[in-house]
Amino acid sequence: MEFTVELLVANRYGALNRITSIYARRGYNIDELEAVVADKTNSDIYRITVRSKGDEYAKIQVMRQLEKLYDVKEVKLT
Amino acid sequence: MQTINGAQMIIEGLVRHGATTVFGYPGGAVLPIYDALYQNSDRIDHIITAHEQGAAHAADGYARVTGKTGVVIATSGPGATNLVTGIANAYLDSVPLLAITGNAPVPLLGKDAFQEVDIVGITQPIVKHNFVVRDVTELESTIAEAFIIANTGRKGPVLIDVPKNVQESEVELKGITATKPEVVPISVLSEIVQALKSAKRPFIYAGGGVVASDAGEELRELSEKLSAPVGFSLMGMTALSTDNPLALGMCGMHGKYAATVAKSECDVLLALGVRFSDRATGNISVYEKDKTIIHVDIDVSEHGKNVKPNISVKGDIKAVLAKLLPQLSDIKPSNSDWLARVDELKLGNARQEGDFTPQIAIETVGEFMADDTVIATDVGQHQMWTMQYYPFKMSRTFLTSGGLGTMGYGMGAAIGGCVANQKKRTVLFTGDGSFGMNLNELATAVSQNLPLVIVILNNGVLGMVRQWQKRFYGERFSQTTLGRKTDFVKLAEAFGANGFRVTNVDELKSVLAKLPKSPVVIDCRIDMDEEVLPMIPPGKAVDDMIITKFNASAGGDS
Ligand SMILES: Cc1ncc(C[n+]2csc(CCOP(=O)(O)OP(=O)(O)O)c2C)c(N)n1
Ligand SMILES: [Mg+2]
Repeated sequence: MEFTVELLVANRYGALNRITSIYARRGYNIDELEAVVADKTNSDIYRITVRSKGDEYAKIQVMRQLEKLYDVKEVKLT
Repeated sequence: MQTINGAQMIIEGLVRHGATTVFGYPGGAVLPIYDALYQNSDRIDHIITAHEQGAAHAADGYARVTGKTGVVIATSGPGATNLVTGIANAYLDSVPLLAITGNAPVPLLGKDAFQEVDIVGITQPIVKHNFVVRDVTELESTIAEAFIIANTGRKGPVLIDVPKNVQESEVELKGITATKPEVVPISVLSEIVQALKSAKRPFIYAGGGVVASDAGEELRELSEKLSAPVGFSLMGMTALSTDNPLALGMCGMHGKYAATVAKSECDVLLALGVRFSDRATGNISVYEKDKTIIHVDIDVSEHGKNVKPNISVKGDIKAVLAKLLPQLSDIKPSNSDWLARVDELKLGNARQEGDFTPQIAIETVGEFMADDTVIATDVGQHQMWTMQYYPFKMSRTFLTSGGLGTMGYGMGAAIGGCVANQKKRTVLFTGDGSFGMNLNELATAVSQNLPLVIVILNNGVLGMVRQWQKRFYGERFSQTTLGRKTDFVKLAEAFGANGFRVTNVDELKSVLAKLPKSPVVIDCRIDMDEEVLPMIPPGKAVDDMIITKFNASAGGDS
């Protein structure tokens, strides 16, 4: 099953690295990733969209691990 | 406003957040910080260890005893990488730790400068969060944030990497403190009340979350109200005194027989601040069978990660129990059959046979110690025996490496724990293998003149690994028979400590009866064939529990 997570992330050193490493460490491959400024007038926050595959368990685990990241402000399943 | 440099800002931040003792080791990239420590030695103590790993474990031990965030400082490069095991250890056991490292000056970062490593990259998967402070104006707020992150929610390590030129840059001291995150209200308690009221065989499984939130008193009240026996994870071991009749000891692979079996037979399992590690559960599908599981933990990502709960609640254990207890005021438990069954199971808790078993050695040490004596261990059989047999009385008195299982944790932890407990007598139970990994810290114990009692349960082997080889690898003892000739008595003396060798309980008692107020090493000779029992083989369930000692001539269990 495919699932896509949309994140609002503080634009800091290594933030993207922290996010992708959650996927890698828990053993889920990233199929597609996009990172853009969330709001053209403000480059402090990025919107990162990650498409991946996994069952219901994987989906919830990934979300909850992402929510714990300090740089991550919001996690949404789309 | 006062202008100071970055290094002084670090000291101001530490002092403001309640750090009174820090551990560490100096070097080129932290010279400004050590200069500031020198100038502020009336406000903050620094203890230099023999190795940065020892300093990290000392800060960890200090944090476990006090509940405050432990602080460790190291230089860049090898100083920083030497912290890695200590940080991982704190991460897996949810210990609040702040590591501060120096690094090459910002203009040299990324150029493979002398002693430059990407310590933020290296530690990223084993910290709650980490920071590189490239701009000195961000230093004060970063330190404040770091203390909040380390010691709120599920606790854990935070690392701040401060390039040397940032330590030297001038900045204004503003007096910043970070705000604690909002506490979310606790819900679904009525479902828990319902489940507990209808329970016939309730069982409470208490973990590190109970100790971390200092909820021992609430746990005692709850267990009495429900007449529910309590089993522990390794991290939860000191949540209740071992002489409480409802406290059954640790559950899991090497748990007490009564605790593990009662847990499997219960109908309602109330799990408080545990993460259901594989060592604790064994085979999950058997583990979850025929029971209602209630999981309370502050970290939502633990709900359903390993075990699927029927009810889960997010919250600090102390706060949840404070809300839950009044709602149970009218409960009248009618589970005398269950308590009788638990009493029967207690008879299954085995004693080791022999004149000078590890059990006798550990219990004897216990007789000579105070209720608040801090006990540290290394990793191996001696660790499991200490968990099984030491008469723990008070919360936060047991320092042991659970999640990472770090041989070499003990000396640092004992030093940190001793300093945290007003330099009162502190015991380390270690193994001959583990002690070899951290005995350099004897130098620290001596220079600090700490009353450490280092009990080496010396079996001449890597006992825990050997036990697995005996059970599961046809007694092929690959690399576990050490054959060393180390004279631990002379070694202790060479470090400036006292050393004794004991081979029976009377000798042990006479050493314990006249302990000096300085470090002592007791080389306790025990049998290499003693096993940690019971044992549930990895991935197996309670029915596969091994209870009796291995007997080679009989081809297996005797
Ligand atoms: C740093 C580290 N290396 C290896 C291990 C694997 N290991 C677990 S227990 C053990 C044996 C420990 O021997 P000792 O300290 O003598 O304790 P004993 O089991 O004999 O009581 C080993 C090698 C580990 N836990 N940690
Ligand atoms: Mg040994």
